[in-house]
Amino acid sequence: MNNHSVDKETPASTGKIAVKVDDLTVAYNYKPVLWDIDLEIPEGVLMAIVGPNGAGKSTLIKSILGILKPIAGSVSIYGKPYEKQRQLVAYVPQKGSVDWDFPTTALDVVMMGTYGSLGWIKRPGQKEKKASLEALEKVGMLSFKSRQISQLSGGQQQRIFLARALVQNASIYFMDEPFQGVDASTEIAIINILKALRKAGKTVIVVHHDLQTVPEYFDWVTFLNVKKIATGPVKDIFNDDNLTKTYGINYKVSIQE
Amino acid sequence: MSSAQLEIQLIACIVAVACAIPGTFLVLRKMAMISDAISHSILPGIVVGFFITQDLNSPLLILLAALTGIITVVLVEYIQKTGLVKEDTAIGLVFPALFSIGVILIAKNANDVHLDVDAVLLGELAFAPFDRLFINGTDVGPKSLWVVGTILLITITLLILFFKELKISTFDKGLAASLGLSPAIIHYGLMSVASVTTVGAFDAVGAILVVALMIAPAAAAYLLTTDLKKMLALAISFGIFSAILGYWVAHWLDASIAGSITTVLGFVFLMVYLFAPLKGIIAVMYREKQQRTEVSLLTFLLHLKNHDEVEERHVNHLNEHINWQKVRAKTVLDLALKNNMILIENNVVSLTKKGNDFTSKAIDYIITNEDAQIEDMKDDFFLFRG
Amino acid sequence: MDITEYIQLVFTDYTLRTITLGTAILGAVTGMLGSFAVLRKQSLLGDAISHAALPGIAIAFLITGAKDSNTLLIGALISGLIGTFWIRGIVSKTHLKSDTALGLILSLFFGFGMLLLTFIQKQPNANQAGLDKYLFGQAATLVESDVWTMAIVTGICLIVMLTFWKEFKILLFDKDYTKTLGFNTKIIDILITVFIVLAIVLGLQTVGVVLMSAMLLAPAAAARQWTNSLSVMVFLAAIFGASSGILGTAISASQNNLSTGPVIVLVAAVFVAFSFIFSPSRGLLFRQIRFIKNRRDLELHKTLTFMHHIAETHEDISHPHAIKLLNNFQGYTKNTLQKLVDKNYVQLNGNMWSLTKTGFETAANLYTKQSTKDE
Repeated sequence: MNNHSVDKETPASTGKIAVKVDDLTVAYNYKPVLWDIDLEIPEGVLMAIVGPNGAGKSTLIKSILGILKPIAGSVSIYGKPYEKQRQLVAYVPQKGSVDWDFPTTALDVVMMGTYGSLGWIKRPGQKEKKASLEALEKVGMLSFKSRQISQLSGGQQQRIFLARALVQNASIYFMDEPFQGVDASTEIAIINILKALRKAGKTVIVVHHDLQTVPEYFDWVTFLNVKKIATGPVKDIFNDDNLTKTYGINYKVSIQE
Repeated sequence: MSSAQLEIQLIACIVAVACAIPGTFLVLRKMAMISDAISHSILPGIVVGFFITQDLNSPLLILLAALTGIITVVLVEYIQKTGLVKEDTAIGLVFPALFSIGVILIAKNANDVHLDVDAVLLGELAFAPFDRLFINGTDVGPKSLWVVGTILLITITLLILFFKELKISTFDKGLAASLGLSPAIIHYGLMSVASVTTVGAFDAVGAILVVALMIAPAAAAYLLTTDLKKMLALAISFGIFSAILGYWVAHWLDASIAGSITTVLGFVFLMVYLFAPLKGIIAVMYREKQQRTEVSLLTFLLHLKNHDEVEERHVNHLNEHINWQKVRAKTVLDLALKNNMILIENNVVSLTKKGNDFTSKAIDYIITNEDAQIEDMKDDFFLFRG
Repeated sequence: MDITEYIQLVFTDYTLRTITLGTAILGAVTGMLGSFAVLRKQSLLGDAISHAALPGIAIAFLITGAKDSNTLLIGALISGLIGTFWIRGIVSKTHLKSDTALGLILSLFFGFGMLLLTFIQKQPNANQAGLDKYLFGQAATLVESDVWTMAIVTGICLIVMLTFWKEFKILLFDKDYTKTLGFNTKIIDILITVFIVLAIVLGLQTVGVVLMSAMLLAPAAAARQWTNSLSVMVFLAAIFGASSGILGTAISASQNNLSTGPVIVLVAAVFVAFSFIFSPSRGLLFRQIRFIKNRRDLELHKTLTFMHHIAETHEDISHPHAIKLLNNFQGYTKNTLQKLVDKNYVQLNGNMWSLTKTGFETAANLYTKQSTKDE
């Protein structure tokens, strides 16, 4: 539509822009949470969105995905409006957003990832089941496929959610705090999968809390606190200056610990 | 107006006040549906009490029935604790079962019990003046007047004695516990008062309408004030108003008094729901619209501040890029112009000094999360005053 | 009257057959849709809707003057839906909480309905009698055409549910995610709500305004305890609902002065209580048994660890020690010692005990396991 602003954030890998956010402003009950966000996410990056609590990290993801309605701004995926590119996008919500006592099995939840491509009414068949089993295997949960979801640990539940997104076979993955409340081995398993996704040319965007692990896990980062503070390669912009701008004056000390 | 009419209205008013007081706390504590559960499940208590006392106004019956109310609360809480079902399912399971037991008890003993399920659910205020209390042979007034009067007196006494405790435990359970006030005692105390009131009032207005008298005045008051004392006062006034007006509507239509009181209550609530100055639906919608414009204006100003490029500040950009509909874009532009926030030269918009200051301040306030201050700021910059 | 006689009667007696069929179908459809209500955490919505339907019945009667139950049900449906959407309006637009909104709509609509009903009763119209049945329900007034209506609505429900099964399921589980897949969640949402309201309205004539919510909740709450699959839960809830209907009708028919509605509700409540206690995976009984067993295991482990501590100090792990040593230790009882012997962890010799090799190893393993857990 408009390619007027080419900034310095030109991506390293392919040069294509996977997600473009223009002047996005979002308000909960008309209380502003995101202000005039301009963001370009290059294809093939593994990006962390960091910022303090209430900075609007989840809100950013949710409004890109159309779950929340922004009051201004637009989102495009590979140059086209999000609504037309839905099948390119997969979402991993926060683990706490659903009722895990729901009567269903791990495999069933993963199969839900196929519902989007099936569309209305059509039921999942053998093909979808096979894909779901493969996704379960990728996250190391195949042996738990018939488990009721409430009988899974927090880390296992997160892996199921990840598998559900994998089965969508999307190009862009949005994940809302996938490392929240999971054990160390799950954290390693998840980050390996994310890195594998990036290797396969996918774009992965993760809301992340743990600043210590940012340089190790991610190659791209966006600092967010109601406004966009900075975005770019971790090696260039993940520094005390930006951390201070995002979190306030004393952040430097706690990250060096 | 005959003395019977006066007595009916008096009873209705006392019931309304006695219900409004615990009702206010139930609404604030998000436990309104518990009152619905209690009002149904006291039925078996009433029936058993009636077997024993043969008198609907006997204090023993009231205590027995109120005990069933407490049992309901305990049972509901027990089921919730097992985690087998979600919270409100527990309420929905307990009270129909107890109510059914009550209905069956009445049906099986229809010959001995002069109780009518209709009467229990709906009450019949019109007959209240005929059942009179005699002390030493002198007529001192209708029995139910004495019953609900006593209950009201107890409720008011408890309210005055424990107002502080009630208030703290309602708004901050943790604080109440740390101050050494037992939230559990206050919780069950409130439940007991609600149960006793329900039992005392069912005779007059019926079980389900007790729920209306508890919840509706409190809910209407909640939309009008945030001050607990004012909320209580308003709830009581709504209750009394509906009781008296309801009586006359029923008189005029020749229909159920309880039903008509509830209908008036419904009307009162509807009016408040629509027209309450701050929390009413019309005010909320108006404010949402206004806020939308305000937020849009700020977004627009912020956008100007963020971008130096000429094409980002072109008038047409508003429509095309920020993705606003034409109408809203024009409103925002006009508003900004009117407040001297922007300048338009050759269709390119730029911030004035005032606009620049305003935007910087706004960003500051929003990022530090003190948006209450934006209201003051608006005054400072004479926003919306042209 | 014995059971075979009764069953014969069900097939031969018109009234009994109609009622039995009616309550069975009703139980099945409310059980089915109730599962959705329970999983959506809208359990009490049913209670509010059934009460909110009352003024609709009265107004439908005032307008048409007809006692035809289908006309009245349409009135009930409309006013039930108005109540439902008003509740949503109150919750989304004001600060009032959902339980207050439910209680408000429930009691205010019901009171208004009562006003209208008593107003109708005073009208000089011979047709008025029989509206009362919607308060407590009178299964006895069911006629064949009512059963047909129920059967048709249930059929439609079943078809819609099977068609949109996938959509219903995913919406119930994860609404935001459903949106990102491109489904219009509003349509699915309204579809579910309308069918729940429909089921409630359908049951008013049989079990009445007051008890209707139990028909919705009880079978679903019972069914949830026996399965971890949504389809099985819905199926079981339908079975439980239908059985409550059939059994309740039978019990109330076999006695005088027993109205059907309350008996059906009590039968359903028995199903719930039984399921809560005896369900193998979630039930309270087995949970208690598991709890006791765990505590015993813990005591056993504690005793074993304590013995291990003592045995460790000796080079020979099987060195015998006096039982007296254990007396001051809280995990120890004669019982636990005997159990340890049974498991071949410990050998007894008069007043002395000694750890076996397996016992020592098990204890050592317990110890390391616990210490890693502590980390």
